Amino acid sequence: MRNVSRWATSGGAVLLVAALLLFPSVAPNPYVLSAGIVVLNYAVLSTSWNFVGGFTGYISLGHGALAGLGGYATGLLVVKAGLSSFLALFAAAVLVGLVAVPVGFAALRVRGASFVIVSIAIVLILLLVFQSWASFTGGSRGLVVPRPFPDLSRPEHHRAFWYLYSGLLALALLAWWLVDRSRFGLGLKAVREDEDKAEALGTPTFAYKMIVFVVSAFFTALGGGLYALWFGDLDPVFQFSILSGSYLVLMALLGGVRNLFGPVVGAVVVGVALEYFKVSFGDTQLHLVATGVLLGLVVMFMPDGVLPALAALVKRLRPDDSATIREETAEELRDRRLANAGDKR
Amino acid sequence: MYKTFRQAAAVGAASIVLISGCSSGGDDGGGDASSKKIVVGISLPLTGDFSEPGKGVQQGYQAWAKIVNDKGGLLGRQVELKILDDQSNADRVVADYEQLIGKDQVDLVVGPFSTRLVVPAARVAEEYDMLFVEPAGAAKAVFEQGFKNLFYAAPAVADDHYNHLADAILAMPADKRPKTVAVASMDDPFAQGTAYGLRDKLKAGGLSIVADEVYPPNTTDFSQIAAKIAATKADVLIGGSQYQDGVNLIIALQQLRYQPKLAAFSTAPTEPEFAKAIGNKTEGVLSPTGYSQDAPYASNKEFVEKFKAQFGKDPEEDQANAYTTGQVVEAAVKAANCAEQGECQKKLVDFVRKNKIETVVGPLTWDATGKPQGAHMIQQWVGGEIKIVLPAETKEADFSYPKPAW
Amino acid sequence: MDGALLFQSVVLGLLLGGLYALLAAGLTLYFGIMRVVMIAHSAFLILAAYLAWWTHTELGIDPLLSMIVTVPLFFGAGVLLQRGLLSRLRPMTLTMMSVLLTFAIAVTIEGLLGYAFTGTQRRIQLGYGSASFGLFGARIAVVKLIAFGLAAVALGGLYLLMKRTRFGWALRATIQHQDAARLVGIDTARIAGYGFGLGLATAAVGGTALSLDTTIYPSLHWHWIGPLMAIIVVGGLGSVPGAAAAALILGLAQSVLQIPMGTTWAQTVFYLALFATLAFRPQGFFGGRLAQRF
Repeated sequence: MRNVSRWATSGGAVLLVAALLLFPSVAPNPYVLSAGIVVLNYAVLSTSWNFVGGFTGYISLGHGALAGLGGYATGLLVVKAGLSSFLALFAAAVLVGLVAVPVGFAALRVRGASFVIVSIAIVLILLLVFQSWASFTGGSRGLVVPRPFPDLSRPEHHRAFWYLYSGLLALALLAWWLVDRSRFGLGLKAVREDEDKAEALGTPTFAYKMIVFVVSAFFTALGGGLYALWFGDLDPVFQFSILSGSYLVLMALLGGVRNLFGPVVGAVVVGVALEYFKVSFGDTQLHLVATGVLLGLVVMFMPDGVLPALAALVKRLRPDDSATIREETAEELRDRRLANAGDKR
Repeated sequence: MYKTFRQAAAVGAASIVLISGCSSGGDDGGGDASSKKIVVGISLPLTGDFSEPGKGVQQGYQAWAKIVNDKGGLLGRQVELKILDDQSNADRVVADYEQLIGKDQVDLVVGPFSTRLVVPAARVAEEYDMLFVEPAGAAKAVFEQGFKNLFYAAPAVADDHYNHLADAILAMPADKRPKTVAVASMDDPFAQGTAYGLRDKLKAGGLSIVADEVYPPNTTDFSQIAAKIAATKADVLIGGSQYQDGVNLIIALQQLRYQPKLAAFSTAPTEPEFAKAIGNKTEGVLSPTGYSQDAPYASNKEFVEKFKAQFGKDPEEDQANAYTTGQVVEAAVKAANCAEQGECQKKLVDFVRKNKIETVVGPLTWDATGKPQGAHMIQQWVGGEIKIVLPAETKEADFSYPKPAW
Repeated sequence: MDGALLFQSVVLGLLLGGLYALLAAGLTLYFGIMRVVMIAHSAFLILAAYLAWWTHTELGIDPLLSMIVTVPLFFGAGVLLQRGLLSRLRPMTLTMMSVLLTFAIAVTIEGLLGYAFTGTQRRIQLGYGSASFGLFGARIAVVKLIAFGLAAVALGGLYLLMKRTRFGWALRATIQHQDAARLVGIDTARIAGYGFGLGLATAAVGGTALSLDTTIYPSLHWHWIGPLMAIIVVGGLGSVPGAAAAALILGLAQSVLQIPMGTTWAQTVFYLALFATLAFRPQGFFGGRLAQRF
């Protein structure tokens, strides 16, 4: 059983690697490649979000702002401190990780609701600061981040960044996979299922939440920083937006937060859907309605994600099921117990 | 088993979508260049924060395409506009131009609306070596990026909009000249450009700046800013406004009974609904404009007439700027006798750089950074109508100072 | 500092704080009843403002009259929202999932407003829009006073309802201890639905008040939700008087701080207060026993 599961994970990984390696050569024009980079960026950010969302069940609407902060930090380190692009990227991610410590301290000391409020507040406060502190950040004039490879033509530039993003995605997925298998990951899941019991059983819940929040912020900042290097123009209004943060949540939820590849699948689906909404609703705001309704439907009917929901459907159609129970919540177990009890009656 | 399936399905779905996504993208790429139509690619904010001016710009482009096509097209080919909606978002505007140039293979591109979107959009055009004439990026920052293919199709950049007014104020006799200035501007490169251009010239001329406020674009309550300005009792009020913020500020100032001797706002006072919005107390309010429906330039009469016929209303500055952009591109295409990607674009750029082009806002020339070399006219509300008062050569009414109470 | 300007700012700050207090009261109710952070509250606020604007421009009647329709309408919508959607979420993940659900509702409302009325900024043009009267050297705009009056009346009404009626007792009992309330025979499910309706009704009143003197546009709600969230945390989650006190104090602080700091920086006072509260006194500064665990 376990061997089969491991085989599937590696099979999935092989498929993903193949797709990542092949895409630039099959992409018919630079536009498709650049659209692909946007989706990859979403995949990286959503996977990074899933460190917090997937393991602990804490839903952050502020990760868009952490990515924006990573982007601005990278840009400012290049422009103001004269660091080389990729050193700046790494330094920026470390910086954002450090910033995440006091934020996490305020947000994680209390449970759920306050965490969400803080995550929204982070977006709004960073927007205010980066907009107002124009002498440092460029404010509404924006910040132009120099290209790391000035000699490359635009299509070559896209290609280079496709591979950079692929590498980052692989790194984020690897880290998630390692946490998932570790004792640390087990502790985090305990927080998700029942924080009080986990604490009573001796799990250092606060420290665990804190560590995973910082790791998540680190990867998010790497994604945002890479985006800044690729895109080149930063504007506070677009970098610090609640909507972009909510897309990450939608992606992860849609794909399934307990899956290694869930956020990646979600990013592809939502990325394509956003494009589709835009094309089919033209110049009206109905694309927002479509996004809202999609999110609402997922929350109401498929809170574990579409893929798990589909898998459950398949499972129901196949009687000889033997699922692993490791990933089930206490509630699911109770539901099944009740269902079984019902059957016996 | 169950988990196995999930993960396999996940990856499978991902790769299928990725691969199908790119194969479908390939179908409509290429091919267009050889067809007869000249396709002009544009990305505009048709939804979101800039949608109102964005739609104005769209009408200007549509008017241009129609007028050109009614006369038999450009180089004998019909002009087709391909307009994408960027949702007022910089990420999208870049993706749009990337799509227009890379996938749709348009023959020409022209600019979007708002300075915030022009810079990222111009960078795409620049890196694909496309001529980029734009109707809206007036702020200084646009011309400091080192773009070689960018040209702003209007008489003057934001900082120079008030030049004639600054000269007029500084030319007043010392005892009549206003002494104190209050500034309130939206945190926006264009609005700040106009307001600070005038502020800095007045400051250099010896007037003192007693209030200098900046507010974020989403500000809806202006009572505090108004309170600070009213407390200074400044003689001159400069508003770096777009539209609604200017109206809100004026109403908040009216509530506090503040009466400046001179009030100048960018954009807002030229909007048709302005007078009603501030209770018709517009007398004496000033605004710079790059366009006048009554301007004597040859092509303008045709533009106003045909625009009215097409849209049932008079063209405003946004529409005129887009039309001007079309005229500039049109002149370049005719001179270079080509309109497609590649070598042709270089010829187009060279032509625009070296020549004076006649447009509805007058003859335009540009410096090496793409900055136009003119100045804006100054309009003032006189007797319930907005009229050009400066410069003296084109005036329709006399500049009046001090302005009556509002 | 100029004394007259300071006094003017204090007056403006109190007028603003009154509106904040009313809106925060609604958010506090939801949280008290279900531990739900209602992101869509300010979207409904903007919706009400649009309806008031529409009433005035299309029907030509005073925007205040729109409340005859919007208040009952929003009450009904609140009941439906609670009964039909929120109460169907899994209890274990309710707090997190309700955030996403109400977020989705907010985005949907924003999209529909944009579809119906475009993204253009709108403002009601009232005959008395720029009228004002003096008070010890400060000037008070009539429209602002009306807005404050609306907020005060609505808050006062809410207070009386909570303290003096059977429904109010039942609602408070539900907020304090749902299980115990059920034990003494209160139909907590129904009471919770009505409580939500009451919360949304405050958004209807607040939106109408808001529409009198500011511009509205579909995405405006994002700029209200932040300060309101900060207010309910500082006031202590779940405490209506706490939220009202925090609203007045923070509204006043924002207004006065604009004199030295300017418009943009002054807004940060909400978030500084939020972080300070969570770091040093997570239960809030004005009661709110509930906050400890959330």
